[in-house]
Amino acid sequence: MNENLHERAQRLLAESVVEGLRPAEVTWLREHLAECPGCAREAAAAQNVLQALRTVPVNVPRDLAARTQLRVRLRTQQTSPAANGSFWLWAITAASWLLGVFSAPLVWRGFAWLGASFGVPKLALEFGFVLWWTVPPLLAAAIILHQKALTAEWSNKS
Amino acid sequence: MTDDTQALAIGLRRRDPDLLDRLIEQYQQRLYRYLLFLTGNPALAEDLFQETWIRVLERGGQYNGKSKFESWLFAIARNLVIDASRRKKISSLEDLGDPESNTPYDPPDERASSILQMLVSRENEKSVQLSLLKIPPYYREVLLLRFSEELGLEEIAAVLATPISTVKSRLYRGLAALKTAMTEGAA
Repeated sequence: MNENLHERAQRLLAESVVEGLRPAEVTWLREHLAECPGCAREAAAAQNVLQALRTVPVNVPRDLAARTQLRVRLRTQQTSPAANGSFWLWAITAASWLLGVFSAPLVWRGFAWLGASFGVPKLALEFGFVLWWTVPPLLAAAIILHQKALTAEWSNKS
Repeated sequence: MTDDTQALAIGLRRRDPDLLDRLIEQYQQRLYRYLLFLTGNPALAEDLFQETWIRVLERGGQYNGKSKFESWLFAIARNLVIDASRRKKISSLEDLGDPESNTPYDPPDERASSILQMLVSRENEKSVQLSLLKIPPYYREVLLLRFSEELGLEEIAAVLATPISTVKSRLYRGLAALKTAMTEGAA
């Protein structure tokens, strides 16, 4: 038996575990291993190594899964309510904007009536009218920014 | 797409907490083992284990159910290992994606090996596992994915984002490197 046969056997042994062999190659390898104790020993040793790799047992830290589950649930809670809250905040803002557009003439008439009844200067009335429309969106923006800051803080902590 | 992976994809898109609990339980051994042998560092493996599941939660919508869940999971874990190695300047892991670089590989130090030894439970398998730590990480990971996790060549290629031919060549070289490491270990 020459050197090339052993080299072919080694190559086929490696191929058998990486890509698989054709039936003819399986037959040849089986016959060679039956006749060659050296290659048969190599094959057995390789099988032992692969078996050890297949069953690599490690001790997972006992509470790792529980800790991870808790952390994942916390993250779910942090992100979901915030997302829902944002949706409602945006919906309310949109509704209030529409309401504001359609009610502006009435509100201005109300301000004009207040000015006439209590003798408030026109400049103060105009300033009050501007505040009437700008304070709610500024508050909404402040709430959104505060929520984002809280979410970022939670993410950093976890 | 099988019914199982389709249901999994829908559950992940919905961020179903019960589904995530089940997956964490189901994959804890495989994922921790993969991370532990890739990093050689139990504390880092624990951190990355948790971080992997947070990513699964946050990016669950990206899993389309067309591939095996474990391929997607291991790909996330692998990317986190690469990120961590860049952040913490672990030279041996920085080369994970670049086996053709000529940087000499430094095996994990004795301390890392002994910590790992404590975590490995069966005496007769220690030599294989310790030899595994002596070979470069880009060979170690394909051997683990192929023989420990029993992924197919296509699935490994998906995890590594490399062609199948590269996976095959790393497997052959990895087997040769493991054989050499075991021979040296026995001597």
